[in-house]
This record gives sequence, C-alpha cells and structure tokens, in this order.
Amino acid sequence: MSPPLFAGYAGTASRYDELLDAAARPRAHWTRFCAALDGMGPDALRARLDSVSREIREGGITYNVYADPQGLDRPWDLDCMPLILPADEWALIEAGVKQRATLLNQVLGDIYGDKTLLKKGLLPAFPVLGHSGYLRPACGMQVPGDIFLHHYAADLARSPDGQWWVLADRTQAPSGAAYALENRLMVARMFPEIFRDLKVERLAGYFAALRDALVHYAPTGGGPCLVVILTPGPFNETYFEHTVLSRYLGFPLVEGGDLVVRGNCVWLKTLEGLQRVHAILRRQDDAYCDPLELRADSALGVPGLTECARHGTVLIANALGAGVMESGALLGYLPGICRALLGTALQLPSIATWWCGEPAALTDVIAKMDHLVFKPADAAHRFEPVFGQDLNGTATRKFTARLRAAPEQYIAQEMVQMSQAPSFSQGPNLGARSVGVRVFAIATPTGYRVMPGGLTRVSTTADPRVISTQRGGSSKDTWIFARRGEAPVQTLLGESITRARAIISSRVVEHLFWFGRYAERCDDTARLIRVALNSLVQDTEPTTQRLAALARHLDLKTQTHPSTLMWSKAATLEEDPAGLPAQLKHLARVAFGLRERMSLDNWRIINRLVQDPTIGRQVSVAEALGWLDRAIIALMTVSGFTLDGMTRDLGWRFLSLGRRLERLTFLCTTLNVAFEETTPGNLTWLLELCDSVVTFRARYMTQTDWATVLELLVFDVTNPRALQFQLHGICSYLPKLPGGIDIPEFARLTALADQLQLMSKREPSPTTLRDWVREIQAAAFALSDGLAARYFNHLRHPTGHP
Amino acid sequence: MRTVAVRYRVLHETLYDYEQAASTGHHLAHLTPRNTPWQRLESHTVSISPAPSEKSSRLDYFGNTALHFSHATSHRTLGVRADSIVEVRSQIPGWDVALPWEDVVRDLRVRATDEAPPLAEFCLASPNVPVLTVTSDYARVNFTPRRPLLEALVALTERIRKDFVYDPLATTISTPIAEVAQRRRGVCQDFAHFMLSGLRGLGLAARYMSGYILNEPTAQSPAPRGADTSHAWVAVYCAGSSWIGCDPTNGKLADLEFVTLGWGRDFSDVTPLRGVVLGAGTPPPKVAVEVIRL
Repeated sequence: MSPPLFAGYAGTASRYDELLDAAARPRAHWTRFCAALDGMGPDALRARLDSVSREIREGGITYNVYADPQGLDRPWDLDCMPLILPADEWALIEAGVKQRATLLNQVLGDIYGDKTLLKKGLLPAFPVLGHSGYLRPACGMQVPGDIFLHHYAADLARSPDGQWWVLADRTQAPSGAAYALENRLMVARMFPEIFRDLKVERLAGYFAALRDALVHYAPTGGGPCLVVILTPGPFNETYFEHTVLSRYLGFPLVEGGDLVVRGNCVWLKTLEGLQRVHAILRRQDDAYCDPLELRADSALGVPGLTECARHGTVLIANALGAGVMESGALLGYLPGICRALLGTALQLPSIATWWCGEPAALTDVIAKMDHLVFKPADAAHRFEPVFGQDLNGTATRKFTARLRAAPEQYIAQEMVQMSQAPSFSQGPNLGARSVGVRVFAIATPTGYRVMPGGLTRVSTTADPRVISTQRGGSSKDTWIFARRGEAPVQTLLGESITRARAIISSRVVEHLFWFGRYAERCDDTARLIRVALNSLVQDTEPTTQRLAALARHLDLKTQTHPSTLMWSKAATLEEDPAGLPAQLKHLARVAFGLRERMSLDNWRIINRLVQDPTIGRQVSVAEALGWLDRAIIALMTVSGFTLDGMTRDLGWRFLSLGRRLERLTFLCTTLNVAFEETTPGNLTWLLELCDSVVTFRARYMTQTDWATVLELLVFDVTNPRALQFQLHGICSYLPKLPGGIDIPEFARLTALADQLQLMSKREPSPTTLRDWVREIQAAAFALSDGLAARYFNHLRHPTGHP
Repeated sequence: MRTVAVRYRVLHETLYDYEQAASTGHHLAHLTPRNTPWQRLESHTVSISPAPSEKSSRLDYFGNTALHFSHATSHRTLGVRADSIVEVRSQIPGWDVALPWEDVVRDLRVRATDEAPPLAEFCLASPNVPVLTVTSDYARVNFTPRRPLLEALVALTERIRKDFVYDPLATTISTPIAEVAQRRRGVCQDFAHFMLSGLRGLGLAARYMSGYILNEPTAQSPAPRGADTSHAWVAVYCAGSSWIGCDPTNGKLADLEFVTLGWGRDFSDVTPLRGVVLGAGTPPPKVAVEVIRL
C-alpha cells in the first residue's frame, strides 16, 4: 500500500510514471526513499521545505530571466523531491551519452576539417553551412587531443513505454551542471540521513575530473596552468552558475574585458600585471568571443582570440564553432553518421526529427502536422515552438505557407508524452509533474565521463509539453544509487578551493572598490535618515533645517519644509535615486559581480537587506526607524566581515580605499553644512551622524563646543569616524598598491594630512577649516578618478572599424 | 580570340588618425591579390606604420591571404600601404556562352559539396546577403526559361547599372540590402550584395569579389565608377570550375581592367582592412587607391 504522504499522488495511463508501477505501487528503487520520507512525518518535512526555500532566497541562488518584470534575479526554483533512477537503467543512459558525445565530437572534427560527411552525403550541406553557428574562421584549426567538445549535455525525456530519448544536444556552453551541484547540496542537507543511508552517487568526482581534464589539455608547455571561466557578465541568465563553477573549480571568473591578446597569447589583466592564460572554459557563445574575426558587434569578446586558438596557445572549451551541433536539423542524420564513423548503432536515439529542408520530409511533416512540434533549425531564427495540434483551419494554412516559404529554417519533431514524477511544487503535498533530465559529460584523457546524476527539469503547470527554465520551470536533484562495491568519492560540502582568489583581475578590483564605497554610502544614508527622523520627532528646529540642507547636498529628494514623510520615503522607497533602497540596490549589484569571491554569510546579509519587506512601502515613522536600525546593524556586520574575514591582499586594500574615500567625502559634505552652525550647543546631530556620541561623552562630559567636536571628528587619528583617520588610512594603503605612490593625488593627500596635523595644535575655528575641508574633498574626488584611470582601465571598451 | 595580358601596379593606402592614442590594436587585412587562373601576383609588400608588434599571414577559409597584425604600444595614427604588381589575362574565352541557366542550377545540386570551400557556400544567404523575394524577383526578369546564363547575366548586370544611382553618401557598410533595393542608391558593395542576393535566390552560386578597377577614362567612356577606391563585383558559377565576373556598378563583365584581391560570400569575409583598437575613437580612415597600367 502507498504510504500516507503519497496518498494524493496518482499516475495517469498516458504517461510513464517514475514513481508508481502499473499496479500503482512504488517502483522497487523508490521504496526505501518513500519509507524514509514517510518516517519523517509531515511537520518535520514542512519545516525542512521552508528552510530550503529560505536558504535559496538568502543564498542568492538565481536564474536571470531576460525581460522578467520581477527584475533580474529570480530565485532558483528547486523542487526538493529528487528524481530517483535505477542503476541498471542509468548504466544505459551513461553509455548512450558517452557514445553520443564521442560521436558529436567527431562530427565537429569533420565539418571543421575535411567535410567528408558532407561530401559523402551523410549530412546535407545546408543545415551545416547555412547555420549561423558554423564559424568559418574555426575551419582547419587543430585542437588539443582532437577534442572540440569538452563539455556536453543531452536533454532526455522518457516516453510512455519507458524508453529514453534525446530531445536536444547542448554543445555551445552547456549550462546546468553547477545548478545540479547546488540542488544536490540543498537536497542532501534536507534529507541528510536518507541521503547517507541510500548511498547516492556523489557529484564531486565529475567536477574534479573536469578540472583535471582542462589542465591536461591546456597547452602549458609543462609549467603551471591558469584556467579561467569566461562569462558574458552578471546579466547573463546563468551568471549565478558561473560564480559557483568559479568557486568550486578554483578558476578565476573573467569577462572579455579582463583578457587581452599579446604576442598571439591570451593574458589576464591583474594588478600585478598580465598573467598568461592557458585555457578558457567559456560560458559565452562562441560568436561573441572575438570581435575581430567573429561577430564584429560583440562588446564582450577578446580581439585576437581566434588567432590565438589557431596558434594553439590557448585551449578554448568548447572549441569555437561547437555550437553548430545544437541544430536540431542534424538529429535525423545521426544514426547514419554513427554507423559510418563509429561502426555501431546509435545507442541513445534522438526523438524523431525531420529537417524540413528535405523536400520529401516537408511533404511528410505537413501531412502529419498534428503529431509534431515545429522549432527553428537555427536558434538564431527565434520563434516559439509551434504545436501542430494547436493549429486549426486558417492557422494551419498560414503555418503551412510559412513552412513552404522557407522550409530549411524549420525542424519538425515528434511530440513526447514525457514521464511524470512526484513533486513538492505545491508545498508538502505531492503533485505529479512532467520531467526531463539534462545529463552532462566531459572529455577526459580516457574518454567521456558522465555526471552520475544530472539536472532534472520540471514542467510548469501551464503547459506540460514544455520544459524550460527560461519560462519558469523548476528543477530537481537526480539520484542514482551507487553501484555495489564502489566506494563513494570524497564529499563535496564546503568551499575547499581557494586558488581563484590568488589572482585578482582588474575588474574584480574595481568591484571591490565600489563595494567599499556603496557599503559606506548605504551606512551614511541610513544614519542620516535616522538622525533626521529622530530630530523631527523631537522637534529640534535648527537641526531639522541643517539636515535638510545636508540632504540637498547629497541629492536626496527634499521639500521646502522637511517632514517625517519626506525622510521615511528616502528610507523605504526606491524612486529616490539617492535614497537608501536605491543605494542598497547598487550595493547588491556590485556584490553580485563579486559573487564568486564572497562568503555565503556575507552574501546572505546583503540579500536579506535588499529583500527587506519594508522596502517599496510607505511606512510609519516607527516602522521606518525599525528598518533603519536593522539596516545599520546589517551594514555593520558587512563591514565587520571585511575587517575580520578577508585576507589583507590587494583586493582588501581596494575595498578599504573605497570605504575610506566614501566616508571622507561624506564627512567633508557634512562638516561644511555643520560649519554654518553658530550655536555649538546644537551639534549633537553631528555626533550622532558620525556615530561618535558615546566617545564624546566618555571623553569630554561637557556640552558640545566647536573645539571638542573638531578635535573628535577632524583631528583625532584614533577615531575611525574622524577626517584625519580617513586621510591616514588612504595614505597608508596607496603605497602598497603597485605604482600607488605615482598616483598624483597621493602626494597631495599626504601633504594635506600633514598640514591638518600641524593645524590641530592651533585650535582653528570652523571658518578657517572650511577651505581645508573643501580642498580635501576635491582631492578625494580626484583620487577616485585617478584610481579608476590607473587600475580600472578595462572599462575602456574597444571600438571596431571599419 | 584575345590572349593579351596586362600588368598593373596597385597601391592601396589606408590611414587612420585616431581621436585619442590607441593602446592596443588588432587588425585583419585582405590586401594581397590572389593568384588565380587569370591573374598572377608578381610582387607584393604591405608596409605598416608604426611597425606592428606581431605580424603573420595565413590562407583563410576561402583561400585568400589573410594578414594579421597587432600593436601593443600606444599610437595615434595607423598607416597601411599595400604595393602589388599583378598580371591579368582575359577570362572571357573560357565562358560557355550557350549553357542555359537552369542547367547550371541543376548541376549545382549535384556538385554542392564539391570544391573547397564547397560550392554550396555561395548559394546560401550570408551575413550581409539575406535571400529576399524582392531581389530574386528583380533578377528573375532577366532569367527567362532556358536563357543562356551568360546572356542573362549581361542583361541583369546592365540593368542594375541603369536602375541604381551611384551615390557614396547614400549608404554605409551596415545599410541592409532591403533598403538598398528600395532606395536604389549606393556604392559598388551595395550593388554587388543586391545582385548576389538575387542570384542566390534563383539557386545559383555567386561570390563576392573584392579588388580594384582600372581608372582610365577613354574617348568613348568616362572614368569607371568605383575607381580610386577598393572595388567589388560578383562572380557567378558557370560550369566546370569557371566563374563569370559581373560588375553591376559599371554594367559590364569583369575582364582585363579588374584586379582581384580575393573572394568570399560577401563583404564581411574579405573586408580589406578590419580591426579593433582599444582606447581610441576611430573616425573613418583616409583611403587612397591607385591602379597603374605598366
């Protein structure tokens, strides 16, 4: 009988059910899992489900969807119920995927080499030569080990008779392997006992093999090897995955602008100078990789990269041009090619697919349109899949006309009734969802190796025929039970790899600098708003006017008469570009660009901040104050991390420089407003804003007067909120940067710090200090520009001609 | 039958004057005249100033010489000067005057994957040459049933010459041919792309030819259009391995006055000089071409 948890779950006759057999009993490979799950009880299960979804939100696991009204970062949709596949069945899939990867690699070698397949008619010329992914500059290139396809993924689905089919091949830059890893980490943590007892195959070995294989094939000439992961950047839909790969494999994550070609070799721009790159694991489409020889309109590429590949000085994985194998038009020819090239039958068949450019095929597919789905032969011709069964009368005639006008642009595929599996998609009650599995393989010196598991993709409720992460489907972990006698490889929990951190690209340095600036700016803004709200509540008139003046200097939205409403808006509404939510958004964006270098805890705090429920609402003063307290504490935690959790390397210095510079300019602005104050007894707001009330009381135990306030906030080299403290910090960091003392503002700031120290002895008045503060502020702005010009030069985008 | 040969010296100079200093530059040039059954390259040099830090050449996918060079140090200007001496003979005697165009289309279906690169390359749409109804309808007017290919091509070439206005200001490199077809203005490259699109739409194989045309006004005819700069025309697969050169800009077959640099599917395959420079604004270069009959 079914355990209670599965009571509401039912199979359907028209689909294969992954869980239940024909007699509605759990299949043998599910029984132990079902029993264990039932043993947990519904309450424990619910609690664990909640904790996983919190972890995803706070861990910032995302999948970006272009044009998503919810903004860039949509939380990753994990369905915690794993898909379990029996070992014997998996063995067949594994062998089939290996064979397929081997075959596709050979086809790539042929179409970019002798083109024997075209000449022999085993592959028609059009789908290859007419495909936008067929890159002529890649023709005739020699690649290390004759490997074009270093990583590969196959999208599989199971038909009602239990047979697995390949729906699509991923050869460009297959995504999903690191999402599978994240799913695994989370599901293994959700069911730790079950996971351990059932001896599920681990994924770590696959990633270790990927790392070793890239190093093996990279043309290092025997020396140390630098492998980088090339990403199109934070706006890419799978950027999160790139950061995970970077952290897990220990390879620096770089964008095109971080790389430069010199002497037919690829180099990474770092603060210590150029570092030779031996291999590029690219997550960027090949056409965008080199504006000189490939797409000239690409701003993401590395000019000259193709020529480096031609000279064999860098391994590009996958090879340039590999994307052409994703064309569905080739699927129908694979069985014949497999027999010709490998001398055996294709073990894992593709779903029946016709390229409509063949006249005979066109006639056939028009006749049985109802049973087919039509897709572009070339992904460059974007259109949504057309299901024949959805068409009628006029629509059928229209579509047939479209087909006949340009048949070579279409493929027709038989529809699969995909199998269904239990899903937690609607909370703790199990429902049935269509599933497909993306299976991954990598090239190793001993042949292709398949990840024992994969990314199980789950359809949305809307259309069980479509599985697409872009369209909001969720995903599952995939469990294969370890074969008897095979010891599980080492565990993959924890972030053991740190090699990526040793090399800091110029881009990372810039992000760190801005991270420091925005973290400080958020803190300053939050404190300002808090002080202003408090002073309005207590109705201290001159102070509210001063703070309103300060708000104007900081470009906050102000009104003639400062009100609690005005300040609450600055605290919670995103529409004010200088308000707290907007600044937090900047902080989160920069942090996202540093995702691969940030600790999970640090990242969680920032995520929690930008997702605070107060943001976006108009709230009461009390609520606003509560939120500001939360924000200030969180920001202090972030700053504590950088103090306590980061090694004092160049990256840390840039972050600290950013923080000090920001604090310095904020302080200068604030002081200039405060200098207008003629009644020094009214300066409490200034101390509050500078978080120095406690220090002040402890030290002076008097009313505020200018001499004591200036002593504490300007001249004191031990007060981390004082102006001189910032100047000292900046002047001590700069010489530790490569070429730091040559930055013109270094001398200027050092001189200003010295003069300020001399001045402190003379107890100057606010009036005499005003010009100094102005000059220091101007020097700080100039330094920021100077740092950008000296260290962040990758921002200068290449321009193409003619 | 003429068996004359003509020798030319071709000077092709390009000068970039950047708005700011360029810190790095990578360039790819197609400036070396190709050896062909009708053309022999006698001597050839490319001088680059400032001297590049790297320079190497290779044969590209289409068999043209591609020259790569790069600069790793700061420079304000870039000058590239190609100096070539070639001997050109007439191709016309080899062309079949009677072969109906449909027979060529049929022959191509069988021979699509022959030669390197495959003939099919020149039958398909390419980055700058989509196959459009408007262009193939235009071409079809001259391609009446069983008309000999050569005769139809002569008619089409002359017709484009008459229908289109030569206007260097009307288009840029990125003007799509649909727009050229509508406005009926442009330069040699536009007319070549327009004609290629029409011919490929009919099932023919047609190459984009990059090179030069002799600037020599005679008593009967003024200077040809597209001289004093690099020129572009079209070559259409005929039979065997012969290709018929047609210059829609000047409304004539490409013969002794034409010096061939190379060919591809369209301009993007054989751009004479393309590059990516870092840190500099790139206004259009000054280009000077001189073709001297020796």
